[in-house]
Order: sequence, then C-alpha cells, then structure tokens
Amino acid sequence: MTTSVEAGVEAPKPPAFIDIKPRRGQNGWLSQHVGTAALGGFLGYILGHWLGNFIGSSYPYIANSGQNSLAVLLALLFMVVGWLLGIGALNHPIAKILGREAKGEVEYTGWTRYFRYNLDHKVVGIQYVVGVLIFFFTGGLLAMAIRTELLNPTVHVFSADTYIKIVSEHGTIMMMMASSVVVGPLGNYFVPLMIGSRRMAFPRIEAFSLWTFIAGYFVIFSALAYGGFPTGWTGYAPLQTQAGPGMVSYLFGFAVISVGMMTAGFNLAVTIINYRAPGMTWSRVPVFVWSIIATAALLTLASPVLTAAGLFGLLDKTAQTSFYVTEHGGSSYLWQNLFWFFGHPEVYIMALPGFGIVGEIIPVFTRKPLFAYRIAAAGMIGVALLSFFVWQHHLFQSGIDPDMRPLFMLTTELISIPTGFIFLVGMGTLYRAKIRYEVPMLFCMAVYFNFLIGGISGVFLSDVPVNVTVHGGFFVLSHFHYTIMGGLIFAFFGGLYFWLPKMTGRTMNKKLGLWHFWTMFGFFNLTFFPMFIIGLLGQPRRVFSYARNLQTLNEFSSIAAFFLGASFLIFVANLMWSQFIAPEKAPANPWDSLGLEWQTATPIPHYNFERIPVIMTDPYHYSEVGAPALADFGNGPPVHASSAVAAAIEPEQ
Amino acid sequence: MSSTNTNPSQEHHLRRIVVIWVALSVVCDLLYWIFIGPHVPPGRMTSTATANQFDFNVLMVIALPVMIGVWEWLAFAALMWNSKRADMPESVGGPAAAGNRRTEVSWIVVTTVVVLFLAVYGTIELYSGAGSGSGEGPNPILQPAGAMKAETAALSGSGSWAPYTNAVLPVQVIAQQWKFTYRYPTFGGFESPYLILPVNTEIAFNVTSLDVIHSFWAYQLEVKADANPLQNNVAFTKTGQLGTFEVRCSELCGIWHGAMFNKGKVLSESAFMAWATSTESKNAANTKLLPPFAWSYVPDANGAAGGFYPDGNVTPYSPVEIYGSKQPS
Amino acid sequence: MSDAFKAADKIRISDTPEEREFELRAHIGAIWSGGRLFIGMYTFLLASLVFSYFYLRSSNNGILWRPNHVTAPTAYGWTIYTLTLLAASMAIFGQARLRRGNVSEWQAAIWVGVVAALFALFMQIWEFTAVPFYPGSSGYASTFIGYSVMNILTIFIVAYWLETTVARSHWLVKEFRGVEIQFSKHPSAQSFRANVASMTYFMGFVALSSTLLFAMFYLL
Ligand code: HEM
Ligand SMILES: [Cu+2]
Ligand SMILES: [Cu+2]
Repeated sequence: MTTSVEAGVEAPKPPAFIDIKPRRGQNGWLSQHVGTAALGGFLGYILGHWLGNFIGSSYPYIANSGQNSLAVLLALLFMVVGWLLGIGALNHPIAKILGREAKGEVEYTGWTRYFRYNLDHKVVGIQYVVGVLIFFFTGGLLAMAIRTELLNPTVHVFSADTYIKIVSEHGTIMMMMASSVVVGPLGNYFVPLMIGSRRMAFPRIEAFSLWTFIAGYFVIFSALAYGGFPTGWTGYAPLQTQAGPGMVSYLFGFAVISVGMMTAGFNLAVTIINYRAPGMTWSRVPVFVWSIIATAALLTLASPVLTAAGLFGLLDKTAQTSFYVTEHGGSSYLWQNLFWFFGHPEVYIMALPGFGIVGEIIPVFTRKPLFAYRIAAAGMIGVALLSFFVWQHHLFQSGIDPDMRPLFMLTTELISIPTGFIFLVGMGTLYRAKIRYEVPMLFCMAVYFNFLIGGISGVFLSDVPVNVTVHGGFFVLSHFHYTIMGGLIFAFFGGLYFWLPKMTGRTMNKKLGLWHFWTMFGFFNLTFFPMFIIGLLGQPRRVFSYARNLQTLNEFSSIAAFFLGASFLIFVANLMWSQFIAPEKAPANPWDSLGLEWQTATPIPHYNFERIPVIMTDPYHYSEVGAPALADFGNGPPVHASSAVAAAIEPEQ
Repeated sequence: MSSTNTNPSQEHHLRRIVVIWVALSVVCDLLYWIFIGPHVPPGRMTSTATANQFDFNVLMVIALPVMIGVWEWLAFAALMWNSKRADMPESVGGPAAAGNRRTEVSWIVVTTVVVLFLAVYGTIELYSGAGSGSGEGPNPILQPAGAMKAETAALSGSGSWAPYTNAVLPVQVIAQQWKFTYRYPTFGGFESPYLILPVNTEIAFNVTSLDVIHSFWAYQLEVKADANPLQNNVAFTKTGQLGTFEVRCSELCGIWHGAMFNKGKVLSESAFMAWATSTESKNAANTKLLPPFAWSYVPDANGAAGGFYPDGNVTPYSPVEIYGSKQPS
Repeated sequence: MSDAFKAADKIRISDTPEEREFELRAHIGAIWSGGRLFIGMYTFLLASLVFSYFYLRSSNNGILWRPNHVTAPTAYGWTIYTLTLLAASMAIFGQARLRRGNVSEWQAAIWVGVVAALFALFMQIWEFTAVPFYPGSSGYASTFIGYSVMNILTIFIVAYWLETTVARSHWLVKEFRGVEIQFSKHPSAQSFRANVASMTYFMGFVALSSTLLFAMFYLL
C-alpha cells in the first residue's frame, strides 16, 4: 500500500474513488432491481395523480374541464422519481447529503446484473443495446401501421385521430428514443476500451442516463393512455396548446429524455478528455471516439434547450402561462426556434456516431490505414460546430425572419463540406484495397450508398427556391429516413455484427447476417426511394389520405416496407440463434482488428486492462511492414500529463 | 495516391474510373436535362413554378455526377478491389496509404467551390424570383414591382384591380381547422371557398390562420407559406397558364390535416373579372357580416388559444372561473 | 466496511502506484472538466430563458409583452437575489480561507451559505403566492414564471452542492483523524479539494447569472 498518508494516522482506509477492488454485490431479490423500480414508479404514479387531483379540485377551471394536465404531469414526475429511487439511482446522491464518499464499484455477477443499477460500463452497454433494440422495434411496429393505412387513399384502417397518434408516436419514439440513444450501446461499451481506460469518469451518471431513458420511454408511451398527441414529433405550438393531456406526456417525456441525453453526453465527454491512457494523444484517438466526443458536445449543449422548451410547454399546459400563445403575449415561433435550435444538433447526434462506426470498421476489412485521419476528426468537429448555426432551415416557409434565409442557406450548405470529408475518408480507404466483404463491411458500404442519397437530397432542401417544392412533403420524409435509417441505423447494425463477438463472446451467424443485410438494404431503398417521387408529386407529410394518382407508388412503398419490417425478424432470429440457442464461441479478435478494444481477453475482465496500457501509436497501421506496436500492455504507466490541471487547483503545493 | 503496386490491371484503375465517370455523367446529365427535367414537378404554371423547376434541374445536373462518382467508386470496390478476385494483390499500408495531401486539398477545394456556388446561386434565384413563391413574413423585402402599393391600398380598402393593367392582385388566404377560404380585398373583401385567379397576373398571397399553424401549399402554382395565427405571411407568384390547381395544407394541423385540400382555377383576366365582380355583389350581404378586412384576425373564445386579455383582464373567461377562489388579489 | 475490503482483497487485480496516481489524476481532471462542462450546460439552459425573454419582448404580440409595466414583487426579488449572492460569495470567500489552511472557517462559511440558499429556496417558492399577475396575462408574466421555476432549480443545486461538500469535509475530518484535508496529498483529500474548486467556480457563475436574471426580471 503506497498511498501517502501523514504519519501518526492509524489504519488509513483505501480511497474509494480509485479503489479498483471489485466487491461482490448482493444478488438477492430483496435488493434493488427493475422490480423495485417498477414498484417505485407505480407508487409514485398513484401518489402524483392523487396530488394533482387534490390540487386541481380547488380550481373549478381544472376540476370542470375533465382534463387535469397537472395531475398527469405530477403523476409522471413522481413516477420517474419513484422509478429512479426504486432502481437505486438516488442512493448515492442521498448518501452524499450525509457526507458519505462513494463506495467502491460493485461487481455483480450472473444474469441478474443486467436488471440492476450497474456501474460497469460493459453491463450498461449491453443494457443499452437491449433498450435501443426494444425502442427501435416498437417504433418499427408503428411504422408498419402507418404503411398499412397508406395502402389505400380512401379505404381507412384507422380513424384520422388514431392515425395521427400513431404517426406522432412513431416519430417521437424513433427520433428521441431509438436514434438519440444510439451513442449509448456502443459508445458506453467501447469508449473506455478504445481509450485504454479501466472505467468511466462518472459510472453513476452513466447508469443514471440509461435508467432515465427507460423511464422516458414509458413517459412517451403513456401519452396513448391520455388520448395521444396530435402534433407529430415536432410538437408545433398552437396545436400543442390545443391538444389534450397526452401532450403533457410528450412535453414531459422530452424533458426526461433531454436529461438522459445530457447525462450520457456529460459522462462520455469527461471520460474521453480525462481517462485516455498514457500515450493516447489526440492524434491517436480512434475515429469512433472522435465521433462520440463530437456527439457528446452536442448532447450536453443542445439538450438543455430542449429541457427549457419542454418546461415552458408544461407551464403553458399546467400553470396557464402563455409562452407559446401568440394571443397572450407569447409566440408560437418561440417554440419553433427553441425546438429547432435543439433539433438540428439533434439530427447530427443521430449522424455522427454512424460516421464513427463506419470509420472504425472499414480499415479492418480493407486492411488499410484510415485515409486522412485528421480530416475525419476535423469533419466530425466541423459538423458539430456548424450544426448550431443552421436551425432556421426548417423554417424557410414559416414567415419567420425571411431576411435571414440566404444566411441559413449558406450555413446549411457549408455543413456539407465537413460531411463530405467523411466520404473522402471512406473512399480513400477503399482505394485499391483487398476488401473482405464480411457482414459489417457490407453495412458500411450501404451507409455510404444511402447517406449519399440522404445528403444530396438535403442540399436540395437547403436551397430556398427548391424548398418551396419539397418542404413539408414526402420528399423531406424520404430525406431524413435516408440519413437516419440509411445512415445511422445501418451503421448501428453493422456495428452490432462487428462488436457483438466482443461484447457477448458469441459470433453472429454469417449466413443469416447476409440474408438480413440484403433484405434490409434492398427493401429499405424500395420503401423510401419512391417516397421522393411521392413527395415531388405533392403528397404532404402526416396525411391519412392522398391523391388517387399516388396509390400505386404508395402501395409499392407499403409492400416494400412490410418486407423491410420482416428483414428485422431475420435479425432477431439470428440474435436468438447465435447468442442463445446455438451459441458459437468467438475468438478474442475474430476480424483481426488492430483496435485497442480487441486486444483484451473475451470476456473482458471487470477492469478491462490488467495494466493500464501505454499507447504507442494509432490503431490503423494495417498492412504496414515494420509498423510500431500499438501499445505496451505490461508495465505501469508514467504519470498522466494532466497534472498541470491539478497544479492549477492546488496552488499551495 | 502513389503506391508500389505492380499489378498492371490495378495500375489503370484510376484512369478507367475517371473515363467511365465522365462518360456516364455527361450521358446521364443530358438524358436528365432533355427527358426528365421538363416534366419535373410542379410544372410551369406560374413564374415561380418555372423558375424553381429550373433550379431543381440545375441542382440535379450538379448532383448526378457526384452521385455517379461515389456509386461508381463503391461499385469498383465491390467488383475489383475484392478479396475474392484472384488477381487482387494484398492491401498496401504505410504512410502513403494513410493520406495524400494533394487529394485531400483538392477534395476540400472542389467541395468548397461547389457549395459556395450553390449558396450564391440559390440566393440569386431567390432574389430574382421575388421570393420564389415562399412565405416571406409580414414585411417581404423581396417582391415584384408594384406589390407594396397594391398591398397598402388593399388594406385601406382603396385598392382596385382591373384586367390587362399589369396590376398586382392581393388575395388573402385564411386557414382554419380544417379548410381554406380566400378573401379578395380589391373586390370589397368578399370571401370565397374557391381560389380563383386571373392569368398573367402577379398575385400577392397574404396567408394567415385563425387557429393553429397550417401551411398554404398551392401545388401547381409553386407557392408555399405557413399560415400563422395573428400573422400575415406574404408570398408572390405570377400566373402564366390557364387551368386548375390543387391547394393542400402541408403543416400538421390536427386530426383532419389529411383532409385539408381543395382545388383552384386560373381563368383568363376578363373571366376572372366577371367572376369577381359578380361574386362581390352576390356576396355583399354576407361580406357585411365578416370582420373588416385585415391582415390577421384575433380569434374569439372558441379559437385555439381561448380568451384574450386586452388590458390585463381576462375575457371572456373571468379570473375566478380560471383560477378559482385562489386568485391573487 | 473494512471487512468487506479485506474479503474483496482476494479477488482484486493488483494496481501499481503509478496506476493509482494515474487514476487519481484522471479523477481530479474529471472533476475539473466536469465542473466546466456543467457550467456550459447550465449556460445553455439559462440562455434559452434569456432568449425567450428578449424574443417575446421584441415581438410584443398583441401588445401584451408587459401591459402597464407589471413587475414581480421586488421585495421578494431583492431578498432572493441577496441570499443567492450571499451563498455564492460564502463559497468564494470561504475557499480563500481554506487555501490558507483554515478548515473550520471554510466550514462555517459554507454552512452560512447552505442556510442562505435554503432560505432563498423557500422565498422563491413562497413568492408564487405574492405574484400580482396571472401567469398567462402577458409575455413578461410567463417568462417570469419560467424564471422562477428555473431559479428554484438553480438554488437547489447551489444548496445541494454546498451541503454535500461541507458534509463531506466533516466526514473526512472524522474518518481520517489528524489528516489536514486542506493540505494533505491523500487521494480523498485531493478529490475533496478538486470538488471544492469546481464548486466555487460554479458559484461564481451563479453569482453572475443570477445578477443578470435578477436585473432582467425585476429592474428592467
Ligand atoms: C421500418 C422502417 C420505417 C418505416 C417503414 C417508416 C415509415 C414512416 C412513414 C410512412 C412516416 C410518415 C408518416 C407521415 O408523415 O404520413 C414516417 C414518419 C417518421 N419516421 Fe419513420 N419509418 C421507419 C423507420 C424510421 C426510423 C428508423 C426513424 C428514425 C430513426 C424514423 C423516423 C421518423 C420520423 C421522425 C417521422 C416523422 C414523424 C412526424 O411526422 O412527426 N422512422 N415513418
Ligand atoms: Cu436541420
Ligand atoms: Cu394541416
């Protein structure tokens, strides 16, 4: 024990925060787990609802309306707090009031650890994988419902009311739950491994973000119990003000999710800045980590704006303020401004991790170094910065600040320069390589194929004259599906095929993987490409009926969409088969990657690296004779360079 | 991209790619321009439709070579640079493969030039098209000659329009859940459920809403402007062909948003004049009941936002009704 | 607790002194950069409110930005503002005492800050009963209610951070009898001081931002 402690003090305790001794956790059913969380959420819900009705009963305006938004809000608020209490997320914050230091991290074992407030980033990563897949598949089922309704312009499966609820839930679940959270699974699992760290900077905050997201999922879904919300995922204001209490679920859900996004990004950013292993300089950090730090910057800085926007909306609905009520001194443009000021960075939150995944996978299968590494990093940072300056391109036709349109047209088109860097990097890496077309590589190629269409259609949208034709129609719809689904979701699945062997120690079946890829890729394009044409022919978004002459195209798109949905069944089958039914043990480094995360044993030990590695070079020296060794895994590291920071805080020493 | 590759079939890849790319791009661009371009929506019914169609086609002609380039590159990767090919040599790593200053710089320069060109071009088109048919808010800075005068006159009730005078015709579009109606201020401010327009005339659309946000999208006219409550949103276009056109709402406005559409007509100038004057007199009694013509209308208690507070008081709801007995003194 | 540590010793992975030092440096750096990033986040949150204020003020829709120049109760405003400022400055001046080595003076200052913040929190909530306008009567009224809610959050964070830090100091002094937490190189003490530094920095931010918001809502 070498900790320096003043003489004369007997039996010093080991400092907890750098204590790497895993303690075996309590696995019993009486400790905290999802069961207690659900119970806490349930009790909280009841309590909040009662309280809201109690308060509301003394206001005849509320009591007589039959719609007590306050009760809904308090019920959901207490539900989230109860959930977090039940899972144990608040144990430490409460203990801190008594001055307690954090206990050392607990190593839970066995399958039950996945149902607990776990502080191991690898467990949280897996929890995130499952969460995101569930979010994504619920959103996907709703998409099937949408396409069923659009099979025919006049014969309706759903009522107009139900249809708009479905569309709104689909958009909200997909945007806020499935896509924003995509940094969660791979980011939380692999960032520490890639930077050579044994842990996250704030594992409690990391776990907090996960359980907050799950609570957010229930909150967003609770809207259906209150009659849904009719506004789409954008929640535009007078309609928002007009809507029933389902809108409260939407607004509060956004507030909850924004807290989850902030905390997730906060922990990732701080970890990347501070926990890079010795020698892991900024020019050696894997591109995936670059993409995550760019995303984390957006998550931390853009999400608070959503929190504020949601708070103002909730006050409008419960305290009768008039933030978004133009007639009462508010402004419906205020919501549009706040929403899109968050919303545009948000769409890059959904693009950047995809770029990072692709940049990480392609060198492995081309056996070539990543082409123009610096340009890749610059591209991600450039995209992240510029994304704060383009939000009004969503409002070209809104009548707001029309004189600013040339400026926003310029900034929007400028953002395609750093986005183009990502293409340069990919294309350069493919050049004259002997490429192995394994499943993850196919997904990466598909990302370039799809994102190209998505990106180019974005340039059309940013051109104000052309925007008159395409705004608010199926063209936009197709555009963002090509970028988000074609880009991010393809990259995510590619990433799963690539990294699951490390995460679970079991390889995915290649044959089923190929089937999944080709059906998903083919039917994705068959579903969404016709939507460009449908949009150009004049079909607005979010409509349950459309012009007769568009039926053939819509039918075509719908049928392709059903097959697209079916392609995910192949994925699920593959997942079940290769992970549970007939698992096949994966070698420690099946793709023969140079990445630091692959240089660990499978399964990865609790503290990742037996010794903190000393990094010697970047992880892309493929096919290079006499390439330097990646890292020194054996010896203790020299003291980290960040002592300058400590010196700044400790002037006396 | 220098490399020590010795395989002759690999040596020529770059040249082949370029040749194929140039050939394909030229062919596709020409085919597009000749066969598809003229049919691209929304057609050529108005000045803005024509101009924006041209704009779309220009973008497409630039976009096609970019897409062809990337796809061709991907196809090459899939077919030629494939480990399944027997003649494929091993990948070559090392610093030469990790970057190439000339390629990087030229990529950045080319993309920057294209992007700046597009931004400048778009701005020019927007200005020369007097706003290109898009909603420009209450005080449009881009407008056709004479529009300002016609608008001011229309509001004061002194505006007039006559066929073959090249006068600008102001029309008001009023959106509400879930229909559009139209008022013609130069004809006594009568209201019509149909949008009827004269041909060869600059139209100034004044779009507003009585409840939530809608968006006025006259598809063939190539006009799109959000309808905001309490605000006027102005868009211009000049009609050029006779015929019918469709009007749709393109901003989600509640349950029946999908059913919010109707049809309009462009008539000859004299036919329009005849329709307008006859409707004006036929509707005269109804017009008197309408609120006086204004750029926007304050909704009553049944509007989306409920009551109105003119001077700090709550009308038509009383404070007691809203806040109960707990209202602050 | 120490028994648990001993039992756990058997399954621990060994860590070298360098690794401990590395983890400690990373941990201190995380507190440092985390504190800064938190200020960044909070700035964006408050900036949304400031933006809304000036946006509604300049649009003045329905001439209802602020009819008759209604003002929130200034007596409450001054009280809350002064108390917040007191809490923040206690942290700032307290840190100077801590640097000189005077732990108990620092502790006293922070406790004063905690009490001030809690009182401010109470006043901020109580103020709702004294607001002389309806929440929806004007743009100003709405933003004022939004400001009040956000200020409740701010003051709560101030109180929580101050309280947990000073509580930690008491606990440390008790657990590590004889260790001078203001000077010691012991990791727990270093972590503690890093936290104090981040907290003080945040309090400076709170002092500035609440001055700005106070001026916007009560004086302007
Ligand atoms: C199985 C794949 C999917 C299909 C077939 C599908 C289909 C659709 C359709 C037809 C609509 C339009 C409804 C309308 O405006 O009339 C829609 C809306 C939307 N989709 Fe998807 N979608 C799929 C996956 C996704 C994914 C992966 C995302 C995002 C990650 C996503 C995000 C959205 C959003 C944001 C909207 C807009 C909702 C709104 O207007 O508020 N979708 N989707
Ligand atoms: Cu955007
Ligand atoms: Cu509509």
